[in-house]
Amino acid sequence: MSLDINFIGVLIASIMASSVPLILAASGELITERSGVLNLGVEGMMIIGAISGFALMIVTDNLFIAIIGSMLAGIIISSIFGFLTQSLLTNHVATGLALTIFGIGMSAMLGKNFVGIPGKEFPVLFDDLSETIPFFGPILFGHSIVFYFAFILPFLTNYFLKRTKLGLMVRAVGDSPDSASNQGINVILVRYLCILYGGAMCGLAGAYLSLIYTPQWIENMTSGRGWIALALVVFSTWNPIKILIGAMIFGGITIIQLHMQALGLRIPVQFLSALPYIMTIIVLVVISRDSRKIKLSTPSSLGKTFYKEK
Amino acid sequence: MSTNLKISNVTKIYPGCVANDNISLEFESGKIYALLGENGAGKSTLVKILSGVIMPDDGQIFLNNKVLKLNSPIDAKKNKIDMVFQHFNLFETLSVFENLIIDSNETRENLREKIKSTMEKYNFSIDLDVPVLNLSAGQKQKIEIIRCLIRSPEVLIMDEPTSVLTEQETSELFSSLKQFSEEGILIIYITHKLKEVMSICDEVAVMRKGQLVSVSKIIDEKIETLANKMVGQNLKTVKKKISKEKSKEQLIKISNLNFSSEDPFETNLKNVNFEVNRGECLGIAGISGNGQSELFQILSGEIISESNSVLFNNNPIGNLNPQQRREYLMAFSPEDRMEQAAIPQMKIFENVALNNFKSSNFFNGGLINEKKIKEHSKKILSDFSVNTDNVELKSQFLSGGNLQKLIIGRELITSPELLICFNPTWGLDVGAINYIHETLIKINEQKKSIILISTDTDELLKLSDKICVIYKGKLSKIMDAEEVTSEKLGILMGGGEIV
Repeated sequence: MSLDINFIGVLIASIMASSVPLILAASGELITERSGVLNLGVEGMMIIGAISGFALMIVTDNLFIAIIGSMLAGIIISSIFGFLTQSLLTNHVATGLALTIFGIGMSAMLGKNFVGIPGKEFPVLFDDLSETIPFFGPILFGHSIVFYFAFILPFLTNYFLKRTKLGLMVRAVGDSPDSASNQGINVILVRYLCILYGGAMCGLAGAYLSLIYTPQWIENMTSGRGWIALALVVFSTWNPIKILIGAMIFGGITIIQLHMQALGLRIPVQFLSALPYIMTIIVLVVISRDSRKIKLSTPSSLGKTFYKEK
Repeated sequence: MSTNLKISNVTKIYPGCVANDNISLEFESGKIYALLGENGAGKSTLVKILSGVIMPDDGQIFLNNKVLKLNSPIDAKKNKIDMVFQHFNLFETLSVFENLIIDSNETRENLREKIKSTMEKYNFSIDLDVPVLNLSAGQKQKIEIIRCLIRSPEVLIMDEPTSVLTEQETSELFSSLKQFSEEGILIIYITHKLKEVMSICDEVAVMRKGQLVSVSKIIDEKIETLANKMVGQNLKTVKKKISKEKSKEQLIKISNLNFSSEDPFETNLKNVNFEVNRGECLGIAGISGNGQSELFQILSGEIISESNSVLFNNNPIGNLNPQQRREYLMAFSPEDRMEQAAIPQMKIFENVALNNFKSSNFFNGGLINEKKIKEHSKKILSDFSVNTDNVELKSQFLSGGNLQKLIIGRELITSPELLICFNPTWGLDVGAINYIHETLIKINEQKKSIILISTDTDELLKLSDKICVIYKGKLSKIMDAEEVTSEKLGILMGGGEIV
């Protein structure tokens, strides 16, 4: 009996592990969008983070440098987006799409020499504790530092937006950049910071994939997770806690449908593979349907270019 | 301590227009200064320079004889110059409290105390923890004012503060402003409303087309002299011609009209009855929010009612949509020009085509006949003296007055039997108001009818043949315009009774 409970604990832990990149990328994008910037380049920034992290790990043999480097890579590529949309006033949607295409192509080029090289084991924390408590042990202990960070991040994000002055400024800029500018807030600077932060989190999400979750480099290894993260932000109505729920549902159904496929149930595989996408959206739509709350949490200026009067 | 603010030779040039041409002005605390001018005279540009939002091309600003360099709104705030903008600078989705603390470095607890005591001192009462979204225009403005007051400003600039306020809110604002002035705050009051200047300001500077025309004391001025300075020509006042032969032929009849809304922010209409004869203008007065917009929407077909509750030429049309009603020769000029009457991002000629899908030759078999539409649009632009002849111009670049002229011109294409207007001169300058009034009188002279829903009592008295008042969704009895005075209307608008 205790074995069964432990199995469920391990299953839940694996679900949580698979939702980590979604939580990281979506939390970063949430901050970007809350400031009124729509960056559709999440997928591109993630994959750049994945290859940079992996390449740095191989070259330097230092996981710390690899993780920091992946975040820096995310920052650098998002700064291109920031420069184009904030300084050259290009369209957010087109620029973001271009960023994704650029990121995928660039990562394939950079990654050519890293295909097939095995990764390195990433250190886990409290590993010896995971056997001590049944069920909770595998859930709570024996994970990487990025894993723990990802599950604290939505709460930190929530606190940041609701309780800090900078968070208030981010929300204000997203609500009305003109009013914010007239109040003396440097709208462009706030938006730049949010874009760069989003880039860093997407880079980290990518590095989690290539260094921790499946420690190797495979071309196009983000396989659409960036788009799911974007969808999570919208369907969670820009609420960090709901992102956590949405990411868990997505991860959960992904893992469960894999088990179902393995059991050989007579359900078409294509349907099972599509299930996580459909269910996540349905659940988030249902938990977020209060139209008043949607109106209050949607950044009114999302995707609109801001011109400063001179 | 007294404050002295001096503007010296300030010039600001935008491509194609000199917004401020070498302006010099001086202000002293303890007084309320009016900055008067028509739309586009350069008042807002000047105060934006004073508040650091934009920078002048030339000239200097002195505060207490020291040169002031204003590179951003923060610099202005540091020097205790604060401004309440014409279009609210609020964050709709943030709470009132969050809106108030956005630019402050103090702790939330301190600020809450400070805000509470400021609100008590000036008798403001607003719930701090609701989102701004839900508040009325008057309450939103109070938030803007409190946001300035908690920084204890020395100079307070108010840019057209009454354009969205009801009369009651306006008088509350005026008594607050007087209180601030007595406490030594220098107040600069921007407006194009002459009455307001006369009632609360001490000195007045008039601007026209970017230039300073005059500076004088209010006691030396009269409404007429100020109006002439502001417009730059002798204004003829529009007087209503009352036609002697009165038509008895009924055009539209509203009977037993009821409307109840699920939206708590809308007003329910209770048993509305009225009729309008050919060639008549029925004025409907009232403080905004008493059911006018609901009534307008029912008359225009945006809200559908029972077919028999609206009879037009004896045809039941209560269940028809606006397009179908237009085919019966009704025309509409809604309150919000930018949101309801025109599409700001579309070109003038496209907007002209919008209300004429059927009854004109603008479209041939589903294709747009651009040439015809443009010809017609050109005619509207010249007939209604809109200050452009470029039909390709996007409508958002027209000033309020010009846009309103365009809309009225468009509505008159079909030579309608009935024109329904809702606040047609709201926010316009004197020249444009006169033009619209003359047009409306002309319509009546051509034996066409008008229903004029307006919050401006003077306008109603000038244009209407019959007047009634809407209060909390109920219509008063309908009176002959000759026996109505603005006092009587005032009583009815406040919910009182007259004998």
